[in-house]
Amino acid sequence: MNKKLIFLIVAVLILFFLPLIYKASFFIHVLILIFMFAMASQAWDLVGGYTGQISFGNAIFFGIGAYTSTLLYMHWSVTPWIGMLVGGVVAVIVALIVGYPAFKLKGHYFLLATIGIGEIIRTLFLNWPAVGGAQGIFIPFEKESFWNFQFHSSKLPYYYIILTLFILTFLVSYFVEKSKLGFYFKAIREDEDAAKAMGIHTQKFKFVAFAISAFLTAITGTFYAQYLMYIDPNSVMPFMLSTQIVLVAILGGMGYLFGPLLGSLVLIPLSELTRVLLGSSGSGFHLVIYGLLIMLISMYKPAGLAGWIQEWNFNKKKAAGGEVDGTTINS
Amino acid sequence: MAPLLTVENVTKEFSGIVANKDVNFEINEGEIVSLIGPNGAGKTTMFSMIAGALSPSSGSIVFNGEEISKKQAFEICHLGIARTFQVVRVLKQMTVLENVIVGALSRTNSVKIARGEAENILKVTGLYLKKDYLGKNLTLADMKRLEVAKALATKPKLLLLDEVMAGLTPVETNEAVELLREIHGMGITLFIVEHVMEAIMPVSDRIIVLDAGKKIAEGSPEEVVNDERVIKAYLGDRYHARS
Ligand SMILES: Nc1ncnc2c1ncn2[C@@H]1O[C@H](COP(=O)(O)OP(=O)(O)OP(=O)(O)O)[C@@H](O)[C@H]1O
Ligand SMILES: [Mg+2]
Repeated sequence: MNKKLIFLIVAVLILFFLPLIYKASFFIHVLILIFMFAMASQAWDLVGGYTGQISFGNAIFFGIGAYTSTLLYMHWSVTPWIGMLVGGVVAVIVALIVGYPAFKLKGHYFLLATIGIGEIIRTLFLNWPAVGGAQGIFIPFEKESFWNFQFHSSKLPYYYIILTLFILTFLVSYFVEKSKLGFYFKAIREDEDAAKAMGIHTQKFKFVAFAISAFLTAITGTFYAQYLMYIDPNSVMPFMLSTQIVLVAILGGMGYLFGPLLGSLVLIPLSELTRVLLGSSGSGFHLVIYGLLIMLISMYKPAGLAGWIQEWNFNKKKAAGGEVDGTTINS
Repeated sequence: MAPLLTVENVTKEFSGIVANKDVNFEINEGEIVSLIGPNGAGKTTMFSMIAGALSPSSGSIVFNGEEISKKQAFEICHLGIARTFQVVRVLKQMTVLENVIVGALSRTNSVKIARGEAENILKVTGLYLKKDYLGKNLTLADMKRLEVAKALATKPKLLLLDEVMAGLTPVETNEAVELLREIHGMGITLFIVEHVMEAIMPVSDRIIVLDAGKKIAEGSPEEVVNDERVIKAYLGDRYHARS
């Protein structure tokens, strides 16, 4: 227990100092994307990995976060920090509305419904002049400051902001996992009828999972808008983004606390590198690699990287002849 | 004293199939009542209606003075009815302990309290040494025990047990009967569906017999085994005609 805490503190310290030592802008950019996707994926995992409701529409919430803060800023000069929280609340409301019909569906039908709803909302934004339509919105440059959520001379502040946001999201997941909510989410994932028979209002708890997930995803969206200083429906709410959020979690291990971070650590550098190495001619090539990785994982290690590490730890303990309390291993 | 459970004129139809037809019976607090009948008689359907997984096509079910036939399963659980599933529904990717904690959380918000209660229940049900096994890694006999443990964790007044002895060895069956006695000793009323008659006869206060969805007999174990209609239902018309 204590050993884990020390490990975590050391890891956070390393993450804090890393970009101070190695300052290449591209490197920091990749780090920012890693934590951004880890955060969105961690948020997704609450409803996908823990509660077992596979949403391929979480980009909607990402987009809602980006649009809410941007529009509030453009029209009423509201700081993106407040816009971020308002975006979270709007996303929760949308999640409740979307969840109402979607949660009536099970398994693949739920998944398909989330894709459909995501595409409808994106198309709506594409054709809605008041929110910039297909042209999107450029966020006007202001003096760089924390309050304005704008930094022009260095990417470092963005890195520290997303690192902090990720850690907060991770802590939310951690406390959810340890609490009644976590047990209830998993029970719903494992067997909805059994969960109901044990007194769980499954519909209500699916909404709770979806709402927390939507709130955190929207926050990630606001961050992305401020980082790019430009938003349009195809960059903040495309189906590809929803897919990427899911793939990161699948690769890392759904329903494992460290899954999203592990998945993001592997997938994001890979996709950014192929993008850089192959240029625009290779656009889409990272998708091929994604596809391959996901196929390999689902064939050989369906529990993802986190599940694999747990299994490896377990075998190591067993080989050392130590007391194995487990048989709790997924294989 | 009013009965704990009253089932009145309950009928359940599935697009054409009548699984239960005008069934009436009562269960009093503290009793052990068994529900028997040939395959497809409608026993599991009756359990599912009492537990709220299905709602009756018509009729009423009253528990503790409250009409429950329109209520959902989770509400009925909170009112004090728990059930096991004939086809076991353990939470496969969760440990045995976690399975039972989920049940215990129906009465508390504290995982710590729920864990303590779950550990006690695992001791009673003889699963304590396997508490860290994943649900999916248990033997069938242990899965059946876990079904009981999960249900017990919700602190029911009335416990519905659907064939928890099916597929068990004679030794395991004896252990299961012991467990039933122990659970009954905690003050829980038991309503049991079972095919293993020898096991269930000695512990039952009363037996209700269903055949093709209808109640055909009710009484003490002795009365029921000597009942014409029951013998006929179990052995078939032809046999009856010849004898
Ligand atoms: N969900 C359902 N849809 C349609 N028919 C059903 C459904 N559930 C049960 N039935 C039918 O209702 C009848 C009663 O089934 P039920 O499972 O209640 O019997 P049972 O007495 O529990 O049988 P067994 O001893 O085999 O468990 C059967 O004919 C069955 O096929
Ligand atoms: Mg049955």
